[in-house]
Amino acid sequence: MADLTAFSDNQLDAIREVGNIGTGNAATALSSLLSCMIHMNVPTTELVSIYELAEHYGDPLQTVGAVFVRSSGSFQCSLIFIQPEQDALKLVELLLNHQFGSFIPYSELPPEITDSALSEVGNIVLSSFLNAINMLLGTQHQISVPGVAHDMLSSILDVVASIYGQLGETALLVNTELSVEGLDDGRRISGHIILIPDPDSLNLLLEKLKVI
Amino acid sequence: MAENSIVLGMADLLVVSAPIKLVTLGLGSCIGLVVYDTFAKIAGMAHIMLPDSRGLRGSEKVGKFADTAVPFIVEEMLRKGATRPRIKAKIAGGAQMFSLPGASAEFLTVGAKNVAETKKRLARLGIAVIASDTGGNKGRTIEFSTSNWMLKVKTLGKGVSEI
Repeated sequence: MADLTAFSDNQLDAIREVGNIGTGNAATALSSLLSCMIHMNVPTTELVSIYELAEHYGDPLQTVGAVFVRSSGSFQCSLIFIQPEQDALKLVELLLNHQFGSFIPYSELPPEITDSALSEVGNIVLSSFLNAINMLLGTQHQISVPGVAHDMLSSILDVVASIYGQLGETALLVNTELSVEGLDDGRRISGHIILIPDPDSLNLLLEKLKVI
Repeated sequence: MAENSIVLGMADLLVVSAPIKLVTLGLGSCIGLVVYDTFAKIAGMAHIMLPDSRGLRGSEKVGKFADTAVPFIVEEMLRKGATRPRIKAKIAGGAQMFSLPGASAEFLTVGAKNVAETKKRLARLGIAVIASDTGGNKGRTIEFSTSNWMLKVKTLGKGVSEI
């Protein structure tokens, strides 16, 4: 594997561009799913200490809703769509309202329905993200069934530590934020997409992007 | 006497004298290992992330891996006045946060491997695991009190238990 700390700014920028293309596609998919305006920020490529992952994203004890998928193929990676718990539930409420005309507030939805809907939104967002990347790289991929969890931010991000921890003390993440805007109640729903390339896939990524 | 708390971060390892409360927040697949000697009134905690250092270079934190953390924390206990037959252990953590049917991703089951390796290393040193709360799919926050030697385990949506 490449030494993460030796990556040049050019290389990190190229990886960020991959995130940019993925995010654009994910935002479009979410927008047509919800018929809402989706705002996306500029993705960042981040080298984060595996000992401070949770702090990097917020309060380690904050409850979050997360959807996780694995992508296998030539560019292997993991992806997490992670939201503050309230935002995840609100997103589900919005989806059920828009797709099925449901007016049930999220606080009254049974957890099985919430999880199933959340995993579907996560799946659509993350698959769109991945499709764009694989299109760009000219690679094939297979995406796993999504896994859903509601838990402390710190517990959820242990999964990142277990991917990068075996190789060193730094993780490379491509991080981006999407938010749903223009809702009736003036609220904003936000979520992060975190792309976690397998350390072994980083060289392939740079090769394909022609920035060795 | 009131106990002050010390919060351990990822891969931290610490041995203290009573009265101090040792705390680790939001364990997912990681392990919170507690060792204590009620006679010498000392206790240690380690926030273990992975089972096996696989000979990784020495600059890494000793608490990160089960195979390095367990011998080190026991050694540290002995150095501070514990005797081996009196040392007992409690373990919490090692959850599997996500399960993806059909996906081949070894790292998703790292929690169970952390538990197994930690227990194996303790057994090798002859240290009994008195209580454990491991596995499942929920994160845990733990607090070990050196006044009653109990480990408080908080799980989201399931409340608090003491082991």
